[in-house]
Amino acid sequence: MPTNFAVMAGAAILLALQHAGQARAADAAFGEYLSGECVTCHSPVGADNGIPSIVGWPTDQFAAVMSSYRDKTRDNPIMQTIAGRLTKEEVEALAAYFATVKPSRCQLIGMC
Amino acid sequence: MQISRRKLLATAGTAALGTLALGAPAVLGQAKPRVVVLGGGPGGATAARYIAKDSAGAISVSIVEPSKQFVTCFHSNLYLGGFRPMTELTHGYDKLAAAHGIKMVHQAAVQIDRDKKQVKLADGSMMEYDRLVLSPGIDLKYDSVPGWGREHEEAMPHAWKAGPQTELLRKRLEAVPDGGVIVMIAPPNPYRCPPGPYERVSMMAHVLKSAGKTKAKIIILDPKETFSKQALFQEGWEKHYPGMVEWLSPKIHDGIKSVDPKTNTVETGFESYKNVALVNVIPKQTAGKIALGADLANESGFCPIDPASMKSAKDQNIFIIGDACIAGDMPKSAFSANSQAKVAAMIVRGELTEAKTFPARYTNTCWSMLSTDDTVKVGGRYEAKDGKIGAVETFVSKTGETADLRKQTQVENMGWYAGITADMFG
Repeated sequence: MPTNFAVMAGAAILLALQHAGQARAADAAFGEYLSGECVTCHSPVGADNGIPSIVGWPTDQFAAVMSSYRDKTRDNPIMQTIAGRLTKEEVEALAAYFATVKPSRCQLIGMC
Repeated sequence: MQISRRKLLATAGTAALGTLALGAPAVLGQAKPRVVVLGGGPGGATAARYIAKDSAGAISVSIVEPSKQFVTCFHSNLYLGGFRPMTELTHGYDKLAAAHGIKMVHQAAVQIDRDKKQVKLADGSMMEYDRLVLSPGIDLKYDSVPGWGREHEEAMPHAWKAGPQTELLRKRLEAVPDGGVIVMIAPPNPYRCPPGPYERVSMMAHVLKSAGKTKAKIIILDPKETFSKQALFQEGWEKHYPGMVEWLSPKIHDGIKSVDPKTNTVETGFESYKNVALVNVIPKQTAGKIALGADLANESGFCPIDPASMKSAKDQNIFIIGDACIAGDMPKSAFSANSQAKVAAMIVRGELTEAKTFPARYTNTCWSMLSTDDTVKVGGRYEAKDGKIGAVETFVSKTGETADLRKQTQVENMGWYAGITADMFG
């Protein structure tokens, strides 16, 4: 019995981990779709031509900045409008997607 | 739905064939579904790029666009004001075509056969499509201002399509003497770029003032009682160009009766303006004529669409985006076209490759330059509601903002241009 229980528990954990992995993948895919709204202005490869780069950020930092636009402690009205309409899940999906994007090489060495 | 050849043959001749074939994501016996995009501007280029990029080769995408070099109408006022050279507004399609395998067809499309799902090109050849994305922009109603027509666009330029007309307007502006009068005939709603005429006036005044011609005057004859960002523009004109700009509503000028391109005269119900140094006629507009010819517009001259998908209200195989469509509360702007293109691209992929689709969401912002380092903006978020694209939340710059904020808004304006052109052309 204990052995069976351990196997079942192990399987359950494995299943849970798989689900978590799928959820992360799905979030990033949803985030990529949602990112279409961002990249009209923000560079998808992290260039800053007057509008800040949003790629490669830690997800919690991304979510915190969006939250500060939502509660209007940051004052750009475009971003307040965008952030104010995003659900928590959508912010997480965007954060997950942009976290996976690496700034382009030229951007890292400041030669874009 | 995948159908093996064997199963297809086995069911051939039965009623099931039709059902199965209709249910299949791609047309049977055809390597790839075909999308033809008419127009390579902010709507068309974006739609083509997103369909090709996100379908990773599963859809054949072509852009039909006569110009090999596209000059953006957005920021052409900044060229007029001397803030940007024409070279910065000019973009080729090589990178877009190469990066995503998009076929460029540099011809005019002359006709759409909706029954056969074919587009006829200027050279007589035909292109077949499974889905058509129509982004032709606007056409000008040359007969909407009495006395003015296509043959007068040299004498009285419109410059409402960017390129040679924009350069002509700049030359004519430079030749305006101190004490000279410019008359702008503003367009009636709806038209491309609602704040555009008034940003143009700001840029004209900036050029005149910079040349020391502060006795010159710009008179705007408007068929509208109000206009976009009105309080912001009027505050800016008073601040930067006192006494140089006069805006007249229909109640004041009592109607634009006629223009005479030979004598540079403009007649209104109230006054006759003679020997005008520069007349800028921005006429009434419609959807591009290819859309009108295919009976995709309604009595307004623009094309009704389904707000959840950007599909034509008249044809399930055609998507209409950008200035040519009736986008509810969204203005006709490059930003709007780019936003609508992404919704259309998503739905097209959903229909042709069964890619996942999400509820449509739209965004717009329009920046307008009043003077050096003094820029304002208006924008909002939109979604399908009440049978149209409706505004969910909007914002507009405030009068009396700090110089720092206005300067930052101009930095953002330039950043947006870099962003959207990269999003269009790769």
